Amino acid sequence: MHDDNLLLQGELSVSDLTSLIKTTLEEGFYGLKVTGEISNFRPASTGHWFFTLKDSTCAITAVMFKGSAWKVNFTPKEGDQVTVTGSLDVYGARGTYQLKCSTMEKSGNGDILALLDQRKQNYAQLGYFDASHKKPLPSHPQRVGVVTSPTGAALQDILQILSRRAPSLDILVLPATVQGTSAAQTIANRIQQANLLLLCDVLIVGRGGGSLEDLLPFSEECVIEAIYESQIPVISAVGHEIDWALSDFVGDVRAPTPSAAAELVSQGILDNRLRLNSLRQTMIDSLKYRLQLLTQQVLRTRPQAMQNNMMHTLEKKEYLLVNAHQNMVQAMKDIFTLYTQRLELGKRELQALSPLAILARGYAVVTDPNGKLIHSRQETTVGENITVTFTDGSRKALIEE
Amino acid sequence: MSFEKDVSRIEEIAQKLSASDTSLEESLALFEEGMQLSKKLEETLSEAKHKVEIVLGDDPANVEITSFEQGQ
Repeated sequence: MHDDNLLLQGELSVSDLTSLIKTTLEEGFYGLKVTGEISNFRPASTGHWFFTLKDSTCAITAVMFKGSAWKVNFTPKEGDQVTVTGSLDVYGARGTYQLKCSTMEKSGNGDILALLDQRKQNYAQLGYFDASHKKPLPSHPQRVGVVTSPTGAALQDILQILSRRAPSLDILVLPATVQGTSAAQTIANRIQQANLLLLCDVLIVGRGGGSLEDLLPFSEECVIEAIYESQIPVISAVGHEIDWALSDFVGDVRAPTPSAAAELVSQGILDNRLRLNSLRQTMIDSLKYRLQLLTQQVLRTRPQAMQNNMMHTLEKKEYLLVNAHQNMVQAMKDIFTLYTQRLELGKRELQALSPLAILARGYAVVTDPNGKLIHSRQETTVGENITVTFTDGSRKALIEE
Repeated sequence: MSFEKDVSRIEEIAQKLSASDTSLEESLALFEEGMQLSKKLEETLSEAKHKVEIVLGDDPANVEITSFEQGQ
């Protein structure tokens, strides 16, 4: 650390002095806003910008590092009047000082912005930007008109995107100058021409990115009025995302870039293509499903399937038959048993009543020669032959008295 | 026939195809019609038949149009 008393010690090293200067300059000159002319502009491959800022009598070396340079929306060129903000920076090894810039804009941008803002207020009050005045874009345009430079990158972007997304869409280029003093009038003329001759059903009016001044034609009164009067819907597509022009406010639709405008006009066609694809898939799926069902039905009527079916039916009937047979046999058996029992019973009853049982107890039966049973003495005569039956057989006998 | 009308017809066909009371013969005929129609529409949308043209001259009332050569 060096303290302020160093100066008083009389003898300083180069480093001591440089250090003092660095401290003094860097601490004393900061938050600067400097206007001057760009000279000797040398962009480095690393992205840093080296240049000199000068006026009629003086010059100062300046640097803008990459981190700041990329935020500047234009590339400075020799002779540009710019306003930078920044601080002083001392480079000790060479004993030089330079202006380290953190922002840069073209001088007079403040005036332009004020003018644009006033114009914007004016047209807003006139109702030029009202939502009720905005026309919808056609969902399925036939021919899209493009008011832009025929040689610009914007047109190439638009053509490329349209040929990819909506190859059937016709494109009409309405060539206009998009930069410089005559630009606004050529843009306005093309918009009017498209309307007069109904050259297309949607218009893209735009250009690629550029400085605030480059985009100014799209904020000119004649362009604003031509867009407002246009019967054909207008898409304003000026510059990059961050750029804007008054055409963005009066246009029916604002696209952030020309490419985005091309995407907007082709969206309906692209959607329809996707819708068609999905419908076709639905039809294919439906028919496939239908055929699958029918195939299953047909499979059910194959000979093998029918045979299996028949076998199953037969087996069922066979079972019923076997069952019936068994039932019948059983019924017969039951009936037989019943009759056998009745027979036994009858036999026993019969036995109880049999006369032979009486004979067994020692009685005998007497019958006449004709076999007629003799019940009493009067039925016989002496000398008559009779038959006496015992339990074990019979004998002939003669009545003696 | 307009695009919308054609698309409606395809939608109708797709719906009939998924209905079970449509006969097979009818389904096949409908399917063929639907596929042909969708092919036709897809062609009108995607066929690279588009023209890129450029207006010549500055007279707003008298326009001359010629083919625009890309990369010109």
